Amino acid sequence: MKRVKNPLIRRIPREIKTEWHKYLVIIVFMVVMIGVISGMYVGHDSMLAAVYGGRDELNLEDGSFELAEIAPDEMLKDIETGKKADVREYFLTKGYEEADRKVAEALDEKLKENVTAAIETKVREQCAAFGMIDEKAIGEQVQKALKENLETALAETRKSEEFKEAEEKAYKEAHEAVVKKVDEEWDKNASKYGLKDEIKVIPAFIYENFYRNETEDFDNDGIADAKVRIFKSDSEIDKASFNKGRAPQNDSEIAVDRMHASNVGIELGDTVTVGGKRFEVVGLLSYVNYLTLHESNTDLMFDAFGFDVAMVTPEAFEKLTARVHYNYAFKYVTAPENKPEQADHAENFLKTLIIQSLIHENEIRDFLPEYLRQASNFAVSDIEGDSAGAAILCYILIGVIAFIFAVTISNTIDREASVIGTLRASGYSKREMVIHYMSMPVVVTILGAVIGNVLGYTVFKDVAVDLYYESYSLPTCHPVWSDTALIKTTVIPLVLMFCINLLVIVRKLQLSPLRFLRHDLTKSKRTKARRLPKWSFFRRFRLRILFQNMPNYAILVFGVIFIELMMCFAFGLPDSLDHYAKEAPNMMFAEYQYILMGNKDDEDRDIKTSEKTAEAFGAKELVYPKKESSFRSGMGSGGTESVTVYGISENSAYVTLGEKKDGAYVSSAFAKKFGLKDGDTITLNAEYENKSYTFRIAGRVEYEGGIAVFTDMENFNRTFEKEEGEFSGYFSRNEITDIDKRYIATVITKDDILKVTNQLNHSMGGIIGVFRYALIVLTAALIYLLAKIIIERNEQAISMVKILGFGNGEIGSLYIVPTAVMVVLSAAVGFVAGYILMVWIFHIFMLQMDGYFAFYMTRSSMVLSVVYLLIGYAFVSLLDLIRIRHIPLDVALKNVE
Amino acid sequence: MKEEFLEIKDLKKSFGTGEARQEVLRGMNFTVKKGEFCVLLGPSGSGKSTLLNIIGGIDTPDEGYVCINGDKLEEMNERELTIYRRKHLGYVFQMYNLIPNLNVKENIEVGAYLSDKPLDVEEVLTTLGLQDHKYKYPNQLSGGQQQRVSIGRAVVKNPDILMCDEPTGALDYKTSKEILALIEDCNKKFGSTVIMVTHNEAIKYMADHVIKLRDGVVRHNDLNEKKIPAADLEW
Repeated sequence: MKRVKNPLIRRIPREIKTEWHKYLVIIVFMVVMIGVISGMYVGHDSMLAAVYGGRDELNLEDGSFELAEIAPDEMLKDIETGKKADVREYFLTKGYEEADRKVAEALDEKLKENVTAAIETKVREQCAAFGMIDEKAIGEQVQKALKENLETALAETRKSEEFKEAEEKAYKEAHEAVVKKVDEEWDKNASKYGLKDEIKVIPAFIYENFYRNETEDFDNDGIADAKVRIFKSDSEIDKASFNKGRAPQNDSEIAVDRMHASNVGIELGDTVTVGGKRFEVVGLLSYVNYLTLHESNTDLMFDAFGFDVAMVTPEAFEKLTARVHYNYAFKYVTAPENKPEQADHAENFLKTLIIQSLIHENEIRDFLPEYLRQASNFAVSDIEGDSAGAAILCYILIGVIAFIFAVTISNTIDREASVIGTLRASGYSKREMVIHYMSMPVVVTILGAVIGNVLGYTVFKDVAVDLYYESYSLPTCHPVWSDTALIKTTVIPLVLMFCINLLVIVRKLQLSPLRFLRHDLTKSKRTKARRLPKWSFFRRFRLRILFQNMPNYAILVFGVIFIELMMCFAFGLPDSLDHYAKEAPNMMFAEYQYILMGNKDDEDRDIKTSEKTAEAFGAKELVYPKKESSFRSGMGSGGTESVTVYGISENSAYVTLGEKKDGAYVSSAFAKKFGLKDGDTITLNAEYENKSYTFRIAGRVEYEGGIAVFTDMENFNRTFEKEEGEFSGYFSRNEITDIDKRYIATVITKDDILKVTNQLNHSMGGIIGVFRYALIVLTAALIYLLAKIIIERNEQAISMVKILGFGNGEIGSLYIVPTAVMVVLSAAVGFVAGYILMVWIFHIFMLQMDGYFAFYMTRSSMVLSVVYLLIGYAFVSLLDLIRIRHIPLDVALKNVE
Repeated sequence: MKEEFLEIKDLKKSFGTGEARQEVLRGMNFTVKKGEFCVLLGPSGSGKSTLLNIIGGIDTPDEGYVCINGDKLEEMNERELTIYRRKHLGYVFQMYNLIPNLNVKENIEVGAYLSDKPLDVEEVLTTLGLQDHKYKYPNQLSGGQQQRVSIGRAVVKNPDILMCDEPTGALDYKTSKEILALIEDCNKKFGSTVIMVTHNEAIKYMADHVIKLRDGVVRHNDLNEKKIPAADLEW
């Protein structure tokens, strides 16, 4: 016999249909939330996939170097093969040749001089013997003798022992001088570049990637608006992807960076003047090595307004006039596997390059391994660490929904107690009932997750990608399957929803069938009615309602705490960013921080300044493992935190260290972020070397602007094995004008700090905006659901008082006033609890990011976060009034046993 | 001669503790034969519903036992009790306890789903006179019609015992007689043993076996030699 399907399944669609407004709110809510977060993850993963994919596809270099002169093929070949050469020997040979030539010349001259003089003397002696006194006649005799005998005399003299001795001596002295000079020079260079060590051969492919820095006048008004770096369209390395348009095909066409174009308003078909020549813009591109428009690698921040990169045909390139930068890119034949290997490869490659440039008499103007290149790593590093906050928010929200579901189902179970009792008495097992009541949250979550994911992969992905496009010059991306998105937006919400509901439902269905049949569902014993003061009937009635609904109000308070938590997030995050942006300049301990390339100039003298406020300091970038296990697992935002260790001069005017000599003082931001205390030991690691440094914390320096460690200069130099007197840069109150710019690596001023925070605000601002709206919608939905639960639970009582003759207004005042009082009270309590929770969550959020700033809310935001909730509730109570009006009288008469 | 199907032995049950302790069943003994229509008659508080709940396996006695078809309920664990209820019992309560968002047919299917040997749902609908109402929802039916659905839900399982707890308690005279006639029909047609709890003395005349309870004990245990059809009952 065919088994009957469980008819209870049919209740699900009917329940959704009957309670469509409730489920619509929940589903829309889940769809938006899962959609937005899934979109963010998919966008994030797609963008990273596009960036990583682009690295291979567009042939990203492993590094590049610039030479003063164009390199001959032989030199490039020698660099590619990593040809070893004995530079000292080369220079000796070269020096000997030069010396030999000079000695020979000098000897020849001297010999000629001596022999000529000897012949002349001899002729004069003979003339005197013959009594000749006419000087003219003597001169003629001398010339004659020289003409006839000089060559023979020279040849004979060369054969003489005396000459040979002199010749040998001259060569010996000259060679000794060459050795001395070469050794001096070699020693200096070899120790500077480590050329005396064993140099590993790092075979690589070299590509020509010349460029010119031209001026760009995009509004064609004759005034240069930006600097543009022009590359040739036939380059085989560091290619570009085209977001719009195509590559230039003739010498009047140009393709420019899409981010720069978007910022300054260049569009396809526009004409721009570059280097005085007019070009039509035929493409908007993104160079694989210019994801951010850093003009120089030492720039703290990129500048997509004042700097551009562009592509022209080789013919057009030839016609431009600015100096050609002989830039060569290289790719290792065997790619390095990890960061220390990257550093090792780059170091050895540089040594080969130095040697070959010495041998080929060329000069290295610039050398930059790819892993240190800001323009191609800044955006990636930022994108990589961008998703921490979203997941936390997602789980909180799913928790809220699961909680609402659990409460709703718990109410449904109470309402359906008799039916459950009957079904259980008829033989339905507890398991079957649990599965039945679990189906709804599971179905709704799956529905929300499926629609949310579909929207995530389509609409919301584009929103997220656009947010990245607003910040960086990224390549075109296509959606990729994201395991993270699936796990975080679908699997975890489902599991969360499942577990929370299962817990509540199993607990609720634990009771015996008989207790369900008797509606005996409370575990606690019935308490006696409280005695109330002699107030008016209505006041006492309201108070009774308040007491009777305490469990429901407890849920309301709980829900309001969640709402306030979200409000704190929505208002507090932009507030915190603004606050940090505002406070950051004040946090700087020096108005100017000059970081030098090295502390010596070309003549090996200390780089000095006449600026009176200047104070030398040492600086070293290290990383702090956030978790021991994740050390070296990721750059920056991954498992490690970047830490700057400062060496501070004695009696510093900028940073005051504690009294403990040799002690390490951590910045207050560092201490707060990782909960460090005095006496703790921290181990910092070099990112690209296998070196670790351990510090015992002696105290704290009040500095909120960064994760830093301060120690005195002496200790700093000792720790990092630096020579006495060595330093990294200057702190200064005023601008330093007397240091050659080529010795300055970076200058950090207030403007730079502001640039960073503004960029942070710009990058995160969009996401926060989306969240803020989503959260306000969520708040309204939540308060609607919570208030609905209270009215639903009191439906029978409301119906009964209606039968007794109370008007809708009176009932409204009886049921809505206590709820309103509770909402106001719980809003206040909820705000405090939500704020405290948010501070804690924010701290966890910051732990996953680089840097630190504390959670902050302005007073107006605090007030607004409560006011928004109350306004939301005001609307909901209007809906409640309508709901009360629609409760039929027969509700009270149904199911009364 | 019908075989003995249900045995109640020294059954005791009390509620509360100390002074508030109230003995509801005070040593009850009787047997019911298979296919019998048995009425448990008694005033309020006589312990008849408690007795029915214990027989139904949804309540447990303090002492004594219930033995059905040779199986003692006290020896069963919760899972076995659920299976026992699922396989052998059909329940009809005074309140119909129908599922509001399932229609008449589906409410009956709720019972059919539980059984390994369910009756044909359409046949049950016809027997109960619900064919014309099968797509209606409970709130579109009268009390009598709802009780029919509730009987249908119990009967469709083709249970060994049909447990009825004051099935006419909330119905008027005419509807009550119709419902009683239906239960009588089901007893005859499908051969289920019926145990019906009622305080209505008149109903005893339609039963094979009448057990009168008072103060937790069996006062009378009589077999009805001259039972009359439900339709002829008067009260």
